[in-house]
Amino acid sequence: MFEESQVAFFLAKRSIVRGNKGTLYLTILIIGMVFVNLIFLPSIISGVAVLFNQQSIDYSYGNLVIEPKKNQIYINNVDELQKKIERIPGVTGVSPRFITGATIVYKGNAVTPVLYAVNPNDERRVLKTASKVVSGEYLSEADTGQVVIGYRLAGNEDEKLDVIPSLGGVDVGQAVDITFNNGVTRQYRIKGIINSDSYGADSNAFITKKEYESVFGLENKANQILVRTQETGNEDKMRNTLMSFGVQEKIWTWEEKSANFLNQIIGSFNIINLIGTVVSLIIAVVVIFIVIFINTVYRRKQIGILKAIGIDRSIIIKSYIFQALFIFAIGTIIGFFFLFLILQLLAANPIVFPGGPVAPVVDSMLIIRSTISLLAVSLIAGYVPAWITTKEDILSAIRG
Amino acid sequence: MIIGRDIKRIYGMGAVQVRALDGVSLEIQKGEFVGVMGSSGSGKSTLLHMLGLLDRPTSGFISIDGVDVGTLDERGRTVFRLKRLGYVFQDYALVPELTAQENVYLPSMVRGMSSRECTLVCAEILSLVGLGDRIHHLPGEMSGGEQQRVAIARALVNKPTILLADEPCANLDSQNSRIILDLFKRLNKDLHQTIVMVSHEEWHKSYFDRIIYMKDGVIETEKNEDQAGIETP
Repeated sequence: MFEESQVAFFLAKRSIVRGNKGTLYLTILIIGMVFVNLIFLPSIISGVAVLFNQQSIDYSYGNLVIEPKKNQIYINNVDELQKKIERIPGVTGVSPRFITGATIVYKGNAVTPVLYAVNPNDERRVLKTASKVVSGEYLSEADTGQVVIGYRLAGNEDEKLDVIPSLGGVDVGQAVDITFNNGVTRQYRIKGIINSDSYGADSNAFITKKEYESVFGLENKANQILVRTQETGNEDKMRNTLMSFGVQEKIWTWEEKSANFLNQIIGSFNIINLIGTVVSLIIAVVVIFIVIFINTVYRRKQIGILKAIGIDRSIIIKSYIFQALFIFAIGTIIGFFFLFLILQLLAANPIVFPGGPVAPVVDSMLIIRSTISLLAVSLIAGYVPAWITTKEDILSAIRG
Repeated sequence: MIIGRDIKRIYGMGAVQVRALDGVSLEIQKGEFVGVMGSSGSGKSTLLHMLGLLDRPTSGFISIDGVDVGTLDERGRTVFRLKRLGYVFQDYALVPELTAQENVYLPSMVRGMSSRECTLVCAEILSLVGLGDRIHHLPGEMSGGEQQRVAIARALVNKPTILLADEPCANLDSQNSRIILDLFKRLNKDLHQTIVMVSHEEWHKSYFDRIIYMKDGVIETEKNEDQAGIETP
């Protein structure tokens, strides 16, 4: 068995070293490109997922979201609950808020964004929205009659430039009318405009919780509490901790809250990725198969001769498998090199998605999976043509 | 010793059956240098293919060194070819990417000989065929005669019971042909190598101990050295 492998390796080595270099280099290059293709697109999708996940945490939900109990509109005794949660180890910020619908009108442009009513200082400890003001200022605790809006909602005078219904280019300092869903209409001055690259934050409006409570006559209530924790990734554990501290409201993790949206995006990307992966692997199989098949057909007579002088068929097949493995190994190394160059290039010039710049995320499982896939197709593509050609009887092969 | 009894090889070509061998019986003793001659299509190469285990007879019996080769499976036939038979082809049939030395030691590698042993044995055999100074040359860098001598060295490397040669001089000029035939004669005389060689050249007769003449798939006549007659080109 060892001798057979030794002879097969010897034949493969000589064939590679003294065979047609042009075909060999081209095949290796193609396999390298296939390897890059197998990793690049999934890494971009992973990058998009990481970006959206981080945005969900930083601009929409924090780590945990507390909502009213079943059949209740509000969370009551919010101040007490907030203090209780803030004392829990691992919690770094708690932000009670109201989420509601409202109609905002500016110079005849009426839009109905989501309106968030927040305590600005609490909000700063949970979300990063406050740090993304590109014009004007963020809200202060004592603000009344002031509103901060996302840049998409502010919009442009030329409505063709807008991607959502907008206020037609409203700017800081200008006044808008907000009609709440209890029918109350008040005038607000635009205090700041946010550009966070997060679709949610950039399409909506923010007032202070105090202002909202004055409109609705509420006190010590909220319909959502966001919780920021020290670490991301142990949300389930923190949820249990909150429950053990007596939080009886519904507690969601950010993943659960954003699951539908994210799953839709990632699901669509994964379909594209699956198609790309299958096409890449088919290309790899076809290329290696054709190269080995042409090689074996070209050497049909030689294969017949080798069998005639007592070289077993399995040795000949193995020699072609070794060649396929060599092409795979060098192709993969070259693919790694290209991938490294592409990643460096993208680090310097990131791809900008609507949600922000995306850095490809290459994890070890992706590399292992891609390498194993390519190894498997290389083995198949090396074995099958060699098996077909060596199956032929000796005299037919020798006669060509 | 080779014993063949009523060997038949029938090829089906549509509705027509071609009887390439039609009941050949023969015996070849150890140390004999036997020529198989006949016109094109007489069945001489087919007979060599049967004796060389490159093809299976439709019917009949072949025994080589007491082994009924008809009972061997494919793997067994491959091992038998490797250990007991040496085969020389008309067109040298060397592996183009291997040097003379590598071509020769390939069969011995398969037998599990160490690299050092292979190198020593190859050097010895290549010297025997007069190519001691060409061991590192690729086939493409050698003449036809030299390539055929490498092929002979390859056939001999595992010390086969029988050396089978299928028109080994067909692609060579008379000078190189003579070199090859002299080599065969020397191997036969000095090493008592059993050789069965197919040829259609009349002047080759002088080298054979015995000649089997074939016609239409059967042995027409057999003549020994004294009866063969010599016509030198």
